[in-house]
Amino acid sequence: MKSFGIEFVPMELFWRTTYYTIQAERLGYDSIWITDHFNNRNVYVSLAVIANYTDRIRLGPGVTNPYLVHPVMTAQCVSSLNEVAPGRVICGIGAGDKTTLEMVGVEMRNPLRTVREAVEVIRRQIAREKGVYAGKRFTTSAGARLNFKVNQPIPIYIGAQGPKMLALAGAIGDGTLVNASHPDDIGRAVKLIKRGAEKAGRRIDEVDIAAYTSFSVAEKEKSARKPVIPVVAYIVAGSPPPILEKHGIPVEKADKIRGDLANRNWGEAFGAVDQDMIDAFTVCGNPDQCTEKIATLFKTGISHFVTGSPLGPNVRGSINLFGEEVLPHFKEIS
Amino acid sequence: MLVVEMRYRELVEKIPRPMYVKLSEKLLDALLEAKDGGNVPSSLAKTVLYYAQREQLSSVAGITNLLNALALADPEKATEILEEFGLEDARIALSTAE
Repeated sequence: MKSFGIEFVPMELFWRTTYYTIQAERLGYDSIWITDHFNNRNVYVSLAVIANYTDRIRLGPGVTNPYLVHPVMTAQCVSSLNEVAPGRVICGIGAGDKTTLEMVGVEMRNPLRTVREAVEVIRRQIAREKGVYAGKRFTTSAGARLNFKVNQPIPIYIGAQGPKMLALAGAIGDGTLVNASHPDDIGRAVKLIKRGAEKAGRRIDEVDIAAYTSFSVAEKEKSARKPVIPVVAYIVAGSPPPILEKHGIPVEKADKIRGDLANRNWGEAFGAVDQDMIDAFTVCGNPDQCTEKIATLFKTGISHFVTGSPLGPNVRGSINLFGEEVLPHFKEIS
Repeated sequence: MLVVEMRYRELVEKIPRPMYVKLSEKLLDALLEAKDGGNVPSSLAKTVLYYAQREQLSSVAGITNLLNALALADPEKATEILEEFGLEDARIALSTAE
């Protein structure tokens, strides 16, 4: 079955993000993912408000990280949210963003082990397991348990990009959020997830594989391109040379963009973003183009497509456009 | 607040019903884009969401609340929209309500 999700960065007033989620639910989206950054509005406050104004759609952090939020707290948050939206909660967790962590003096040490143990701790907490958990990154005593029951399962999705994290997601995740937009990158990711699942003795269909894309749709391709340009500039600037070379992007161009971003020469940096870069790192275009690109992505083996922020030049307009002109190509809307 | 809301309601009731859907769309778009969205009190924002959830933003009550919210978030835009819809009487009434 094909599922569709939408990501919001809670930079907007709560009621605005909530309005968009009401709209997304009505148009047939299946999941809402709210990003978790210390400098934006709190992810769980956002989710609690959204939960109160939606009825069907699944919702959760996309993604939280175990460096800033201890997994017992993540377990408490998603379990509490489950009381507001029973059976609708999903939990995205990943290693986080190195640059953001460094801003608050947190070192991203051993991300694989940290994420693995965090997932274990969250699951134990939700299940109210007795006994000590003694990991290398996290430990909990026998008495560290939730004081309330969680009656519905809360699937855990692992945000992943690198080969090892993708394999881990296949091995232990209920789902995975693949941080990529190009079919080649997503195809490679699916293979790694599959390998991780097989190694762990699981079937690939036990893992909901979501392409967590940088997405933008508008009536006209040109209008759709505009909102993704800053995002692409940052992705290009932050991509290692092998990734750039894979997409035919000259390393010197990326170096120039990085330098311009560092010097806050936004015009220069954004002006250097070209169509090849947009194609490599986003799903972007008019509804027909987006439909075609999403169809290609589903052929790689994903089961879930997430329209990551930005969504388009006008959020409400782009949600409508996606819901009315793209989604119906893939699923029947009830 | 209640008095203001009643005045908005009276004003909305003067608007021809066939205009409701288009007007509510315009007001909603403007509200979502308004730079002073933070001026909308939480209680009013929740009322707007209540009507949005029930697909009733184009009802009398829905438009009343949208108009009320937009008049706080971007009064000039609220006036502009009423003018655009040829609702001169309503526009004058809105400036009185403010």
